[in-house]
Amino acid sequence: MNLDYNDEQNMLREQIQKFCESEYDFYKREEIVKSSNDFDENVWNLFAEQGWLSMPFSEQSGGLGFGPIELSILFEEFGKALVIEPYLSTVVLSGTLLDKSTFSEKNDLIEKICTGSIHISLAYAEVDNGYDYLSPSTTLDSKFALNGTKTLVLNGSNAEKIIVTCTNDDTLNIVVLDANTPGVSINSFSTVDGQSCSEISFENVKLDKSNIIATGNDAENLLKETINLATLCICAEAVGCMESCYHKTLEYTKGREQFGQPISGFQVLQHRMVDMFIESELAKSLLIKAMLEVNNRSDEMYKHVSALKSYVGKSGKLSAKEAVQLHGGMGVSEEMMIGHYLKKMISIDALFGNADYHLKTFS
Amino acid sequence: MYNEALFYQSNLIYKEKNMDINFSKEDIAFRDEVRDWLANDYPKHVKEKTDAGITINKEDLIDFHKALSKKGWMGYNWPVEYGGTGWSASKLYIFNKELGLAGCPPILPFGVGMVGPVIYTFGNDEQKERFLPDILNFNTWWCQGYSEPGSGSDLASLKTKAVLRNDLDEDYYVVNGSKTWTTLAQNADWIFCLVRTDNSGIKQEGISFLLIDMKSPGIEVKPIITIDGDHEVNSVFFTDVKVPAKNLIGEEGKGWTYAKFLLAHERFGIAGVGASMRQLNRLKEIISKLDNSDLQKKVNELEVALSAIEITELRLLSALENGGHPGAESSILKIKGTEMQQALSELFVEASGEYALMYPGPHGYENNDKPAGPDYAAEGLSGFLNLRKTSIYGGSNEIQKNILSKFVLGV
Repeated sequence: MNLDYNDEQNMLREQIQKFCESEYDFYKREEIVKSSNDFDENVWNLFAEQGWLSMPFSEQSGGLGFGPIELSILFEEFGKALVIEPYLSTVVLSGTLLDKSTFSEKNDLIEKICTGSIHISLAYAEVDNGYDYLSPSTTLDSKFALNGTKTLVLNGSNAEKIIVTCTNDDTLNIVVLDANTPGVSINSFSTVDGQSCSEISFENVKLDKSNIIATGNDAENLLKETINLATLCICAEAVGCMESCYHKTLEYTKGREQFGQPISGFQVLQHRMVDMFIESELAKSLLIKAMLEVNNRSDEMYKHVSALKSYVGKSGKLSAKEAVQLHGGMGVSEEMMIGHYLKKMISIDALFGNADYHLKTFS
Repeated sequence: MYNEALFYQSNLIYKEKNMDINFSKEDIAFRDEVRDWLANDYPKHVKEKTDAGITINKEDLIDFHKALSKKGWMGYNWPVEYGGTGWSASKLYIFNKELGLAGCPPILPFGVGMVGPVIYTFGNDEQKERFLPDILNFNTWWCQGYSEPGSGSDLASLKTKAVLRNDLDEDYYVVNGSKTWTTLAQNADWIFCLVRTDNSGIKQEGISFLLIDMKSPGIEVKPIITIDGDHEVNSVFFTDVKVPAKNLIGEEGKGWTYAKFLLAHERFGIAGVGASMRQLNRLKEIISKLDNSDLQKKVNELEVALSAIEITELRLLSALENGGHPGAESSILKIKGTEMQQALSELFVEASGEYALMYPGPHGYENNDKPAGPDYAAEGLSGFLNLRKTSIYGGSNEIQKNILSKFVLGV
């Protein structure tokens, strides 16, 4: 029994924290969000230099061979700084799916991800399929023509390649294609938390066997595992947000004076901040359990990620709402960071199945 | 700027001490030993009653504790030199969890959990010899004299007065006042009391820690019946009670220090994870047969929350085993653990539907024919009403939040 991070993991966390403090403060983030680009190329290159873009890939693919524990650390810290760079989309969703597949060109693609020279998006969601990602309506017919529409494709507008889930003769297929293939049309939107996502239509897009990453059971397992890992990552992000929510609220109430004293002196506010602290610690406990189960690839890994997702969906939003309330008018000001945590929690709950969905899946 | 080389190097240096949520082989073997004891040596007549949800009586409790003594497990939290088990934090955790899962009554904390550690830490040799063996053998039943009618959460304001006298070369205290919410005082042989020996300084400084024989003339115990209909707690009145001065623990005026030590000592099992898991499992079984999606959602939520509490306790355990000093975080376990116990009992009541209307009292339908309705209805209500106490005792949950405000938030 040891639930403390090892020295290497602590150093990784420190490295990410230092980076976010010096290179990614809230003003920098606002600049990126307001710019015409969806993220900062320079920041992305720095991620590559730190080795972060290689973190989860196996050593055979040229990665660092880190697992869900290190990814969780990265996302916790990204959550605190509200990083909007498309790490989830390119590295976790697309990169780890490729890495675990037997796709012939995967080494080349992963190498490009590691050096920061390519973005790839995973198109897994469809309008009418809810959270059931295993039976898409997008079809790949016997002549390898792809037809259908994908929605909520994270970072779709910047992707050179798109990984698409589709159905071929009732079995799940996962294919990868160039975003500029004839017949592909992309319509992009911004998300509530400052990222971008796209609706992508495929109209008789001609593919061939070389586009196929996986089929049948392999494809199902690959997709399930990838989404599960990505879910763990955004939950870690939520845990980071929750910790920041109570830290920042505490700091604010200690500095804000009303009725001749810092408002942190009022018991009614103290107990609400204690509740935020407790919720953040409990969420951290569920994160530890889930990431260790995923790390061990145990039979219960899906169950424990669902437990975590349902918990942070509810308590994360609660913490962020409390943080806004305790900041008073400042809490609803766009120029303050605190309200942006609430938007992040909304987007986290909406992704990959919300709290209610995972509460059902859990049992 | 960021030293990449250093980062990669770190891969090579540190690899041992990885996170691991599993218990060691030794701990698993110990868990099996506890399960074995529960299957074979946990008194059958007690097990039958707790399995049926019937409140157990004084004799049952004595039998349970004597069985633990016989196995040598009574001093579960004591060091070996005083006859305890000397268990590691993880063994202590496993022991508590397994007993809870099996539905055992909680081990009465007053002797072994509370006054025992105070005696072996602050008492003199004569006191250790006199009191400790009887605690380990459950020959004496202790109760706790802390709260007073005017001193609840503000415990240090207590007024029960002890005045030192000398008669015929015998030093003794004369105690006057009253204690309240005294759990199972009606069964107790001894009471440990916080008494006021000095009024001159700040309120914490004039408190002393006194052991009093419940058979002393001038002690009167009056029952307080709680809303579940049970007689668990009492008022204890002291009128000119003569207490030998040798029954004073440590120094006069240091009682508050000992009291705080005592409260911090019972850190483990405070969340009641094992017992809550047992209740949760029973609820899951009940609710799975009801085909009620609202109740299903509630029980799922409780399962997730209980898992969060369990892992939080394991994190505390891990910190302890790695030489850390967990502080006010144990207040989280008190707050969330008791909220969980209450929420589970409330869900039993909800699952009873309209049969939550009928309540025979804490001992069930002893002599009557049982009316219609689910078996768990009466037990659910009894638990729901009885467990309201958990967020009030042991430092109310609001006091726990004050502690967290001070020590964790620093406000």
